[in-house]
Amino acid sequence: MNPINVPAFSAGWFNRSRNKLARTGLGAMMLAGIISLGSPAQAEIPYFKDAVSKGELPPMAERLPEHPKVIDFTAENKEIGKYGGDLVTIMGRSRDIRMAVVYAYARLIGYDEDLNLKPDILESLDVNDAGNEFTLHIRKGHKWSDGEPFTAEDFRYFWEDIVNNDELFPVGPPRFLFVGDEPATFEVLDEYTVRYSWSQPNPFFLTELAATRPPFIYRPAHYLKQFHENYRDAAELDAIVKERGLRSWAVLHTDKDRPYRLENIERPSLEPWLIRTEEPSDRFIFERNPYYHRVDPDGNQLPYIDRMIFNISNAKLVPAKVGAGEVDLQSRILSLQDYTFLKQSEPQQNFKVNLWDVGYGAYAALYPNLTCSDPVWRKLLRDVRFRRALSLAINRTEINRVMFFGLATPTNNTVLPKSPLFKPEYRESYIKFDVKKANALLDEVGLTKRNDDGIRLMPDGRPLEVIVETMGENPEHDDMLELIGDSWKQIGVKLFVKGLQREVLRNRAYSGETVMSIFNGVDSGLATPATVPAEFVPIQQDSLQWPKWGQYFQTNGEAGEAPDLPAAKELMELYGKWVKGNDAARKEAWQGILDINAENMFSIGLIGNVPQPVVVRNDLRNVPEKGIHSWEPGAFFGIYRPDTFWWDR
Amino acid sequence: MLTFLARRLFVMMPTLFFISVLVFIIIQLPPGDFLSTYLNELQAQGEAVDPAKIAFLKQQYGLDQPIWLQYFDWAWGLLHGDLGFSFEYNLPVTEVVGDRLWLSVVLNFSTVLFIYIVSFPIGIYSATRQYSWGDYGFTLLGFLGLAMPNFLFALILLYYANVVFGTSIGGLMDPEFINQGWSFAKVMSVAEHLWAPVLVIGTSGTASMIRRLRANLLDELGKQYVVTAHAKGLSPARVLFKYPLRMALNPFIADIGNILPQVVSGSVLVSVVMSLPTTGPMLLAALQSQDMYLAGSFLMFLALLTVVGMFVSDLLLAWLDPRIRLQGGVSQ
Repeated sequence: MNPINVPAFSAGWFNRSRNKLARTGLGAMMLAGIISLGSPAQAEIPYFKDAVSKGELPPMAERLPEHPKVIDFTAENKEIGKYGGDLVTIMGRSRDIRMAVVYAYARLIGYDEDLNLKPDILESLDVNDAGNEFTLHIRKGHKWSDGEPFTAEDFRYFWEDIVNNDELFPVGPPRFLFVGDEPATFEVLDEYTVRYSWSQPNPFFLTELAATRPPFIYRPAHYLKQFHENYRDAAELDAIVKERGLRSWAVLHTDKDRPYRLENIERPSLEPWLIRTEEPSDRFIFERNPYYHRVDPDGNQLPYIDRMIFNISNAKLVPAKVGAGEVDLQSRILSLQDYTFLKQSEPQQNFKVNLWDVGYGAYAALYPNLTCSDPVWRKLLRDVRFRRALSLAINRTEINRVMFFGLATPTNNTVLPKSPLFKPEYRESYIKFDVKKANALLDEVGLTKRNDDGIRLMPDGRPLEVIVETMGENPEHDDMLELIGDSWKQIGVKLFVKGLQREVLRNRAYSGETVMSIFNGVDSGLATPATVPAEFVPIQQDSLQWPKWGQYFQTNGEAGEAPDLPAAKELMELYGKWVKGNDAARKEAWQGILDINAENMFSIGLIGNVPQPVVVRNDLRNVPEKGIHSWEPGAFFGIYRPDTFWWDR
Repeated sequence: MLTFLARRLFVMMPTLFFISVLVFIIIQLPPGDFLSTYLNELQAQGEAVDPAKIAFLKQQYGLDQPIWLQYFDWAWGLLHGDLGFSFEYNLPVTEVVGDRLWLSVVLNFSTVLFIYIVSFPIGIYSATRQYSWGDYGFTLLGFLGLAMPNFLFALILLYYANVVFGTSIGGLMDPEFINQGWSFAKVMSVAEHLWAPVLVIGTSGTASMIRRLRANLLDELGKQYVVTAHAKGLSPARVLFKYPLRMALNPFIADIGNILPQVVSGSVLVSVVMSLPTTGPMLLAALQSQDMYLAGSFLMFLALLTVVGMFVSDLLLAWLDPRIRLQGGVSQ
């Protein structure tokens, strides 16, 4: 009866013999079957009634897979809903239509509200003991939105004809399908079963499939083959390419196949809502998918809501538009600063403003660039006492009071208390405002000379002026820096703010020109042992505290610099242990990584837990009042399943 | 007259050519290109980007060619009505621009019309009743419009339009009408939304217009021939409209060339703030992401408007004021 759910972070993830990773409770399915037998003819969805009676669309029972995914409403504290209605929300630019895929959160396997991984599009998934063999079971009778069957062929097409095609993917399959240099061995076992295996365990596979931006290792082969050189007459294909003014068939194929960006309204999909508006536009309409695979406990096909509508608007107007009652559900673009205004319009507009927790480890953090080119700065920034002193001289309580009504929490840039990896010292080390101690530390470093303005002098005689670069997107960052600059003056450090554009800052940081920058804190505040610790070890070029080390790792040593700080080397060792280890070893590795980060202050966290306002119309049901607003894991509304939201009108 | 026309038209060609070169250079000036922006995005997702892929993408987007060749590709396309390809949207620029161009034209034309309709009577009024309360009052109003930051005024107007009339905030029509064909209801919705941006962009242009007309008219009003006309018993209105006004109109018309680009570039900011589906916000986004052909096409469109505006004002001036010589220095 109960589905066997293996929490992503429970011990023995890979040790259980023939671990059936939640063969979504056959019992639950049979129960659903009984219910649906009890009331054999499910009421047809009103939106499709016409089409069904005209014979253009088969009835609901035939559209669903043999064993649809039954959402456990009791566990998720939801009520059975009614069909119909539109859900309007606002996005900042048309590129954000990808949020439809994020919010919908239909994944091969996905997180539930308690961050356990459970099969979703897949009926089940088997992982062997060693964690190097993954067998995926597709739901029988599952169909693409155009009614064509969804089968192992769609996985094969992705593996053989897309990522292993030199013209489409010149660099080969995505990284998570590799262990070391070894690509996956892909097998089709039968029409509904495929297997990915490696000689070594692959810890990235499952979390990647469940990611907010999923890799889509299945593609609608029956549709895409018409744009693929292996399946189409070269002359015909060439004619289409010429007509569209493109450079090659590969570009055409990529254009037609954007599962995340949703530009192509003809492309079949497995999402709950299908895009029906072509770019460019300022209003995008998504219409329900008649072949969606999820049902409520009564066997009613989801989603409840017929259409999802994204209006595109300038970000600055969004709070005003929300306050004027132009949306049904909105969290994007809103920030805590809009809270009082929105709260004011609550009574007239028939909506409620909830405050959700966020998944960011920190709302903002300073990133000293340990791989900057200036030798004097580099030496200074790499001195842990210097970084600690800078952190101690930040008055986080003041920032909290001045900017966030005291609703936020002073914190370091680390995991949140809700994460199973949390320890209080991660959050609290070196964040207490202590000018005296900070001054003492800087004296100890040897920065004892000062100029006439009381600013300390660097070893080569330059005044200690830190230029903090910003992405120029978030005015709150500038305000924080203003406050930090005041308190840093007390330790003889001068702060300058330099506003740049995201691309420019990235490039400057990569090349080592940036000394320090400010940006959002870690995304993975809710990390579990299965989460890749990418933000805490030097393996990514876009980690602003060590871009060159990250580049070194990402390019297999062809570019960048090898980490040469002992602590960084240690981090890399622990990362190696995380990659190879079992669940217990992973937790240990994670803990070690976090210990080192907390001790070394590689990034200086400022403030955290800044609540996210979420505006919900009063008669929109099944939207939780309290939730976690997080990109990864969580997909913002995704894990709360917008396909179960409904209108009580 | 015909040779004058032909010469003016001929001069427009090299002007546009130089503008197009400048536009292209300016777009290329900031570091990086669309691809580096895109690669950053890839890297943010943890994808390792190796040199082979970069070269592949460069080739796909045609960014591996030398700049001058990219320019000629683009310019050659422009001559054939092909505005190039937008990287950001993965569509030909013509398809991306769509309705936006027309809505921009409607907005800018309405604004110019608004400026003329408002400043013409006020200018005449305040010139004929110099130093009166009305003169001061209207002038003050004009200056207020000039002094008030456009974006602030826009936000205030949006707010009150919403509170008082229930107009949806931002945009040029109610959201339901986006992507729909043109209907009476849609036109009405556009009209309902259009007045606010027109007012915002327009007010900043009226003050200078009023002052210019007032000053010119005042110059003329004191002249001998006006006094004579009055003395001969012509009615004040007839005197005014027949002689001094016609003289004073000269700079008013000469301004068309200036006011068009002024309005168009002024409307970019307001369009961004008010989220209007015109070319402005798209131009800004294209410049930010270095979507060079899209940005280039918009800038060329602005340049064309300016050049055409100048041309029109030249024509009108020549027609209005016979004192203007068509041959330039030649006749001396």
